[in-house]
Amino acid sequence: MFRALLYSQWKWSRLIVVLGTVAGFALPIISLQGAARADRGPLQAQELLRAVQSWGSLYPVLAAALGLLVAIATWAPDHRGRHVHALSLPLPRWRYVLLRFGSGVTVLAGPVLAVLVGALLATTLASLPVGLQGYPLALALRFAMAVLVAYAVFFAVSAGTARTAGVILGVIGSVIVVQIVANVANVELDLLGKLQVVILNWPGPLAVFTGRWMLVDV
Amino acid sequence: MVHSARSCPCVETPARPKRASLRTLAPAEPVLQDTATTRGLACLLLLVVLACTSPLGAQDSTLARLRHRADSLAREWRQANAVADLVDSLERERAMSWKDTIRVGALRILANPSPLPLREAAARAWPVLDSLYGPEAQALAQRPVIIHAFDPDTTVPRSPLHIGMEVPWNMSAAALTQLLLGNAPMPEPDRPLREWLNGPLRPSWRAAEDRAAVYVQLVTAPSQAVRDCFQGRLEGCAAALDVGASPATIETWYPSAAERRSLLTQSFGDFFNHGATSAALRLCVTGSDSACTGLLRSLPRGVLPRPLGADARFTLVHLALRLGGREAYHRLLVDPAAPVGARLAAAAGMSEDSLVARWRAEILAARPVPVEMPSWAFVIALGWMVFFAGCGLRSSRWRMG
Repeated sequence: MFRALLYSQWKWSRLIVVLGTVAGFALPIISLQGAARADRGPLQAQELLRAVQSWGSLYPVLAAALGLLVAIATWAPDHRGRHVHALSLPLPRWRYVLLRFGSGVTVLAGPVLAVLVGALLATTLASLPVGLQGYPLALALRFAMAVLVAYAVFFAVSAGTARTAGVILGVIGSVIVVQIVANVANVELDLLGKLQVVILNWPGPLAVFTGRWMLVDV
Repeated sequence: MVHSARSCPCVETPARPKRASLRTLAPAEPVLQDTATTRGLACLLLLVVLACTSPLGAQDSTLARLRHRADSLAREWRQANAVADLVDSLERERAMSWKDTIRVGALRILANPSPLPLREAAARAWPVLDSLYGPEAQALAQRPVIIHAFDPDTTVPRSPLHIGMEVPWNMSAAALTQLLLGNAPMPEPDRPLREWLNGPLRPSWRAAEDRAAVYVQLVTAPSQAVRDCFQGRLEGCAAALDVGASPATIETWYPSAAERRSLLTQSFGDFFNHGATSAALRLCVTGSDSACTGLLRSLPRGVLPRPLGADARFTLVHLALRLGGREAYHRLLVDPAAPVGARLAAAAGMSEDSLVARWRAEILAARPVPVEMPSWAFVIALGWMVFFAGCGLRSSRWRMG
């Protein structure tokens, strides 16, 4: 059963996965292109770190995009077919959902491995200044976590009904409206700031996306 | 604090008169009498000169007019100084009129009544000050910290305070401690030390973070001297920290032609790109090291950026004072004419080389954690993934009815 679902998952999301794999492989190599240049002086460590940091901001973007698109691709055919195929299978719902989730995670392994291979290749080929070190494994592990969290979040949202999505959007909208009203009324209420701290700082759900994504660091 | 540095831009800069008392202004008559006598003599002299040399008449009248103007400016300056002194005195009197005096060791705080945790902050700050400055910290007994606590929640305008610090009275003890440490009114060290440090010597309350920041500088600073230091050559460290027996030269700080060119084009490109120096700058950009070095040498020594930042030198001073014990700060200040390296070595009670080697070892040991994710973060991320996957399991899409 898993193989059948995995096949369907691959069919629905192969374009996203292939593009993500190419991007994941290229990103570490591009970010270290300056370090591999022959004319690069040994004293340009700061510029190298700056370039690595700038390119590093694309890793969480790629992770979030992959998670979102694969999660949507996982449920879109079921939604279109009004779940008739899923209901016709001799499976309880929880098992079907787990199989779908597992198949999505499996296809996402491609981009994660691409980031790992690209990062290993980039750090091996680059001549890093003394004192700087490559961290391909740590970066790839972090990328994997970010992809999985993003996928899980959007998987949960996509699996829900329109009503669930409406409730989530309603809650977010309410927070924004309350914040705007508080600002207009000159009330010291920083809901968005507190929410940001809760969500983006450890142990918040999206904390894995924040901070510096450095393939090379001191 | 009020800075009453009222320098007179006129020709004559007489010594500043003594501080005026609260009720009286310093009389200016004796000075005016002196000036009048001088002026009288000058006028007499001028008349004699006028009588003898008529072609120089116009010049002399200009001289007399300028002298008169200078005298007038000097008089104005004295009066302004006296008024400013009076304002200072009144401000100080107003600031000192508050009732609360907090003493912890030699640290003395004058403050208006408020919920500020001043005693707790002073109790935290004093040991740090005492351990850094040693017996010299007793100077604080003569220099109270004046704090005016205000209500941060009110919009009622308050009269501005020109002496001391204004602090919201909901400030935490930790923040207040940092404020006290950063603004302890210690006498400033001598000029060479101050210039070397780029400012006064302050206690460090984030020593580990400071050392980690210096580690990053050691690895990334675009200077061969710094790179040599990182790789273990102590003469590189001494050059980068500017603690050699003789002042470091451009070639010591930036030994290679590439470094000098990079320094010039990045830091002083705009400065030299006009007038007589633009041709030399173009030569430098196209690869002439002598042009680069010549332009860099034309800059005053204090303008050239040192390979390592001021925080690196601060960590060295703090290390020397830590190693040298309570009397270290006193030993550091005892001979202002000596090279800074020798003074630091005397303060630390060891040779310069040993001190620099110890500093390097401490900085290397403070290497920052490279990946900004704690090890448990992966477990938490997995936990969130399971949680959201669980949310997906509870979907109501298949429920009928």
